[in-house]
Amino acid sequence: MTPSTPVSGAGGTPLPPVPALEARSLTKCYGKLVACDRVDLAVQRGEILGVLGQNGAGKSTLMNMLLGLVRPDGGEIVVNGHPVVIADPVKAASMGLAMVHQHFSLIGPLTVWENLSLGEKGRIDADRTRRHITEVARRYGLDVDPDARIDHLTTGQRQRVEIVKCLMREPDVVILDEPTSVLTAAESVELFLMLRRVVQEEQRAVVLISHKLDEVLHATDRVAIMRSGRVVADRITEGATAMELAREMIGRDVSLRGGSAAIGHFEAPADTGRETDEAVPGDVQPTVLSIREARAVGPDGRTLLDGLSLEVRRGEVLGLAGIEGNGQKALGDLLSSVLSLSSGVVEVAGRAVETGRPGAMASAGVGVIPEDRHVSGCVLDMSVADNLVMGDLEAVSRRGLLRRRQVAEQATRLVEEFGIAVSSIDAPMRSLSGGNQQRVVVARELSRSPQILVAAQPTSGLDVGAIEYMNSRLRRAAEEGTGVLLISTELEEILELSDRIAVIHRGRIVGEVTRRQVDLDRLGMMMGGQAA
Amino acid sequence: MTDLASRDPLPSSPPAPAARLGASTATGPGRLGAVTREVALYVVALGVALAVSALLVALTHGSPGRVVSALYSGSLEGWGSFGYTLDNAGPLIIVAVGAIVSSRAGLFNIGQEGQVTIGAMTAAFVALKVHPSGGLVLVLALVAGAVGGAVWAGIAALLRYWRGVEVVISTLLLTFIGFQVLNYSLSRTFLLHEHGTSGATLTESDQLSSKVQLPQIGHYPGFNFGSGLIVAVVLAIVISLVLARTTLGFRLRLLGLNPVAARRVGIRAAWVGSLALLVSGACAGLAGGVMLTGQAYRITPTISNNVGWNGLLVALVARNRPWVAIAVAFAFGALQAGGGFLATTGVPTDLVNVVEALVVLAAVFPPALDEIRRRRSRAKAVVSEAGGAA
Repeated sequence: MTPSTPVSGAGGTPLPPVPALEARSLTKCYGKLVACDRVDLAVQRGEILGVLGQNGAGKSTLMNMLLGLVRPDGGEIVVNGHPVVIADPVKAASMGLAMVHQHFSLIGPLTVWENLSLGEKGRIDADRTRRHITEVARRYGLDVDPDARIDHLTTGQRQRVEIVKCLMREPDVVILDEPTSVLTAAESVELFLMLRRVVQEEQRAVVLISHKLDEVLHATDRVAIMRSGRVVADRITEGATAMELAREMIGRDVSLRGGSAAIGHFEAPADTGRETDEAVPGDVQPTVLSIREARAVGPDGRTLLDGLSLEVRRGEVLGLAGIEGNGQKALGDLLSSVLSLSSGVVEVAGRAVETGRPGAMASAGVGVIPEDRHVSGCVLDMSVADNLVMGDLEAVSRRGLLRRRQVAEQATRLVEEFGIAVSSIDAPMRSLSGGNQQRVVVARELSRSPQILVAAQPTSGLDVGAIEYMNSRLRRAAEEGTGVLLISTELEEILELSDRIAVIHRGRIVGEVTRRQVDLDRLGMMMGGQAA
Repeated sequence: MTDLASRDPLPSSPPAPAARLGASTATGPGRLGAVTREVALYVVALGVALAVSALLVALTHGSPGRVVSALYSGSLEGWGSFGYTLDNAGPLIIVAVGAIVSSRAGLFNIGQEGQVTIGAMTAAFVALKVHPSGGLVLVLALVAGAVGGAVWAGIAALLRYWRGVEVVISTLLLTFIGFQVLNYSLSRTFLLHEHGTSGATLTESDQLSSKVQLPQIGHYPGFNFGSGLIVAVVLAIVISLVLARTTLGFRLRLLGLNPVAARRVGIRAAWVGSLALLVSGACAGLAGGVMLTGQAYRITPTISNNVGWNGLLVALVARNRPWVAIAVAFAFGALQAGGGFLATTGVPTDLVNVVEALVVLAAVFPPALDEIRRRRSRAKAVVSEAGGAA
């Protein structure tokens, strides 16, 4: 292979050089879901390619195929002009493809150099590995101490270790998956400077996967935008505006796809720049949930909530839109009594609730359908009946004794009411399908007639039928007077269900619109962290 | 009754023909197969252990056949031996049931040996120093034993929920402190040291008066056993009912199975977990009290006699099921009784210990294998989920 001539940032030389990595018509289906639909993508040496898209647009699947983690159903992968079959990540590495994963693959109790010598063949040479790390780290201006223990490092430092690990193999193509989701703004800038050096001085190719508009604008030479498994746009970054990218990322067909009359009016042209100020007509329902100036810090010192304020009224669905990792999880934890605030107030139906005290939120009238239902929404090793009654044991017991008949009655009632498909109420929770597990959680939370229902990513991992059911349930809960807080990274879902939409970014609410005022461009910009 | 299976919108869910609510037990061929597999696993493991034991005995110029028959006559042959087995089983059941309570709550208390020691010591204090009338002092002594064990485990609970110290570590280390506490009180006349002997002689206490001794049921050489066994079986029944039928037991199991979900539904880990540890320690302490008032009648530095460790093993082998623990404790008791008899037939004590240990290993092997398999399959599930995520 001949090293191609350096391409300027803008690319587009008259005689296009052979791309370092190319995907031709790559396709991957999971059942009926087409995760990647004939994706064409190419990255040149000396260029940073941004791959922009919402959660579930197919970015991860595409990268997993390029790295040999997932077998494509169709299409081919071309490396330096030669079609190849990538069977596993080792093969990918031997072809010069390396990835910095979003979730780190480092072992906490081991030191940096120990981690980086994992997977090496032959005798472990501590000194040589240390020297190698120091040398690579210095070359790219990354501050990495080979003898530091991983679990003593901050997330930003851990990412630097991951990057060094990746660069030590001298890859031709470096793929970074959402690298800034764990970084502060300053760290992000540093990272991009480093990437620039990697492409300019060493003629490597970089693929930057992201859903943040501003970083794609600032850090990349070219951007491919993915939506619903397809590359819908592939353009030179220079000259593009955040607005254009947001529009492509979210897509006009968002509102069309649902097909329901309820969201038809999103099609109505909305004035983009102007602040809409029409008042909500009709009587204003009382506020059932009010969070004011909530601040919280994680155990690693990162800010989780940064002065978040929001209100949910009786009988409405408030959709909380935002890109993953901007404080949604912390908000869900807060309302599940798992997180305590360092400052701020949470009021349910006008009463302040102590944060972080187990069960305080639940007894104040907050029901939660947690994001990770397998982990915290249910107990897989208990029976369906146990899972259905565990939220309110007092109702099925007398003087501390469980009354089995009442447990069975309550469980049977909920199983029928919520249409949970189960062989017996004594069947283990583990034996249920994902959709039915979710129904159990919903049934339990709604059975206590909560003032407010928090649904965090309620449809993630569910199939179409289950999603439909879940959405109708949430809608019905709101009609019956519950305030529903829908936390989702799926904009479609938010648009379909919400009466009002708030956007969360870096632990605070950056904007709020009513259903009538929805303007997708503006929403996309707010989600991407652009002032709107 | 509605046919709920037809409403399942998910094609991936297993077909449930004629699914009916209320049909509780799921004894399909799969479950039966699993039971058969489990039993076979135990048989194989035990067979290997016995084969290795026989080999060892043969290598040391003994006769494997005579060893087996000695094990049998010491544990099951005749009422006397059988009673001895039962007397061994009693404290093991009590300790095991306590261990089950804490591990069901997700806390691995492994300091039963120390809690037994402290329990026996506090029981001895009351038995020797308090003089009320009638059989009340016996009850008081047993209660004191339970309280002693609970306090000892309570230190671990305090460390866990106040300073975040792992229970496995604190309970283990407290065991060795417990030994020293007993040694100290046995070396001081104003505490427990025997009266009328000089401080330099044996460290043991006075003998308990007959009214502080647990009554024996039946008479040697006929069928006889200590009433400690009755205490043990009643306790096992009570604990298994509490775990299965009360809100407290429900919360405790919930906490053990999924602490995050437990917290979300309002269970306070510090309270429920501490309570579980206290109950667990109280059981071990009670076992110490039963051993003191039922068999030893005076306290010595080795009063605990590995019952704490063995009781913990019983709970492990029984996989935290109180009813099964009774049966396993009986097997362990028989092994102990048989081993004791074997030593009197001239087989070296070291070898007896090795044989006992091999049999115990064989008993622990199937659950351990099962656990490893479960972890592997879980890890696999996680990997495939992560890989398949779009």
